[in-house]
Amino acid sequence: MLEIKNLHAKVDGREILNGLDLTIPAGEVHAIMGPNGSGKSTLSYVLAGKDDYEVTDGSVTWKGEDLLAMEPDERAAAGVFLAFQYPMEIPGVATMTFLRSAVNAVRKARGEEEYSTPDFLRTVKEKAKDLKIDMEMLRRPLNVGFSGGEKKRNEILQMSLLEPGLCILDETDSGLDIDALRIVADGVNALRSPERCMLVITHYQRLLNHIVPDRVHVLSKGRVARSGGPELALELEKSGYADYGDEATAA
Amino acid sequence: MDLSVQQFRSEAEQALLDLYERSVDALPGDASVADLRQSAIRTYAGLGLPHRRIEAWKYTDLRAAIAEIPPLLAESDAPVDGTAFEAAFGKAFAQLPAYRVVLVAGAVRTELSDVQGLRDAGVEFGALAQMLESPPEWLMASLDAASASGDDVLIALNTALMTGGVALRLPEGLTLQKPVHLIHLDGADTPGSVYTRNVLVAGEGASATVLESFGTLGRAGVQRNAVTTVSLAAKSAIHHIKLQREALETIHLNAWVANVGADARYDAFQVSMGAALARNQVSVRFAGKDAATDISGATLARGKQHCDTTLVVEHDVPACESRELFKLVLDDESRGVFQGKIVVARDAQKTDGKQMSQALLLSETAEFDSKPELEIYADDVVCGHGATSGQIDEDLLFYLRARGLPEAQARALLIQAFVGEAFEALDDEAIGDAFAAVSAEWLGSPAE
Repeated sequence: MLEIKNLHAKVDGREILNGLDLTIPAGEVHAIMGPNGSGKSTLSYVLAGKDDYEVTDGSVTWKGEDLLAMEPDERAAAGVFLAFQYPMEIPGVATMTFLRSAVNAVRKARGEEEYSTPDFLRTVKEKAKDLKIDMEMLRRPLNVGFSGGEKKRNEILQMSLLEPGLCILDETDSGLDIDALRIVADGVNALRSPERCMLVITHYQRLLNHIVPDRVHVLSKGRVARSGGPELALELEKSGYADYGDEATAA
Repeated sequence: MDLSVQQFRSEAEQALLDLYERSVDALPGDASVADLRQSAIRTYAGLGLPHRRIEAWKYTDLRAAIAEIPPLLAESDAPVDGTAFEAAFGKAFAQLPAYRVVLVAGAVRTELSDVQGLRDAGVEFGALAQMLESPPEWLMASLDAASASGDDVLIALNTALMTGGVALRLPEGLTLQKPVHLIHLDGADTPGSVYTRNVLVAGEGASATVLESFGTLGRAGVQRNAVTTVSLAAKSAIHHIKLQREALETIHLNAWVANVGADARYDAFQVSMGAALARNQVSVRFAGKDAATDISGATLARGKQHCDTTLVVEHDVPACESRELFKLVLDDESRGVFQGKIVVARDAQKTDGKQMSQALLLSETAEFDSKPELEIYADDVVCGHGATSGQIDEDLLFYLRARGLPEAQARALLIQAFVGEAFEALDDEAIGDAFAAVSAEWLGSPAE
């Protein structure tokens, strides 16, 4: 479903991704682990289409189409969703207004009918309830004054509303206590389906106890250094990233 | 007052004196009004049009900007109907429930105005031109007070040449349930000058919302000079709101002058999006303790538009509060000016004054000039000011686009969010929605 070949990318003139290969078949959840600076977040931004990330070589194919040729909003319409490590705060935009604009923009681009107000509210209410999101929170400006857990739950709410085919979770576990982690993981697991694939980026194994991956890849110096089953994550939890060039861990 | 004699007059400066000479016999008013006019034109003759070497006009050189003086607009019977209001102000604004008063060339068009409704509600109301013929004491007092301020050329010219506008007095204790909406519409056919003076007087404990909207019929070049004086007795409250959406050929000069009594509240809100050159002055003087003012608004400018907002708040007495927040969105080669002066007199202890101006620059060539001035002579006060200017945050833009919003829509949403913070000063939901709708229209995206 997602096919990344020999991907090279630069940020501020520095090469971060250095020949990365990765294929995720439909229905599978793959985890990307790796030390700080190995290129995990860069990969997520390159896939979502952030401006200052320059792809210098390689290709990314999503459902047979050239993903790199698309604008960020076209990627969203094509089903790519990035749950941000640090969701943005936007004062002056009510969360509900934002959700509705996003969902209707994506539906319009996909040739689907826009939601009517009551239908939209009903859908949001249902999904918000599962994620233990208070409707009052959705009336507040987007992410402004939200706790870390609220922001991440809001990301998962957006993910479920936008019905993506590729879910990229960038360090979604960071800043979450165990209860919040469970809610978020349940939300993600509810979205697992044979038509959808997921890329879970994390530094720690803990999230993968809750979202059990089909495959685990270890990223080092901008490429996949090793791949394996879920047991690879447990192994890394014990040995650390010392073998993968993380000086902090090695010291 | 230091009246320096002007050495040199530009053609337009001389043309204004000629305009006065030509028109003076036909200008409305009794002998006392004629005296005020005479004295005002002398003030103008001494000062000329303000230019950049005058500190208060540093960024807006009126002498350089005005090349010609068109004749005074004569009372016109140009057709004005609902479609004209919608074209001028947008649907939501045109349909706001209010006591509507329509002014064309400064004259009240009674067939389009709800004068009877205002009078039935207990308001003393008249067209200025008629009332100047034998002005009641409260009107004369307001005119005298405005003239006493002396060295403001914009107001002096207005006093000399005012032909229209309204005078409106709220008797003691009256609370108006609906806003009064003064609609100024001009420029149907030929270029012209329009001088209007509105006089608002709120008796003790009275309260009302007064909207003023300025629009253009057609596109003819209008030079507008519009002054509104507001006198607030103790415990009264006026919410004074303005929309300026005039044609791009317009020169718009506007001054609001408020005198605020004890425990009274004067709130001013202005959105400017039209005119080639606009100068918006709001000056508020606290005359009694424990009074408050909130002056806020937004400027939306593009092309070569120039929009100047100049505020002066004079804390003459103790324990008053002032708040100022202006948001400017500047595109293309437009220029936005914000000048905010807060003067705290020696006796005005416990003054609480805050001021903020923020500009969002949408192009490399847009310009924002901000000049805060704090003159504080008391020692027990809380005063602060701030000014920021920046561009659209690319990270926020990416976040919205990653959620599927096309770039133009994402930008519009961020700009609206930026401006929207100033709209929070509007507690009336219908009015707030109407401003959101006109600003959305300016941004080229339909409202939600």
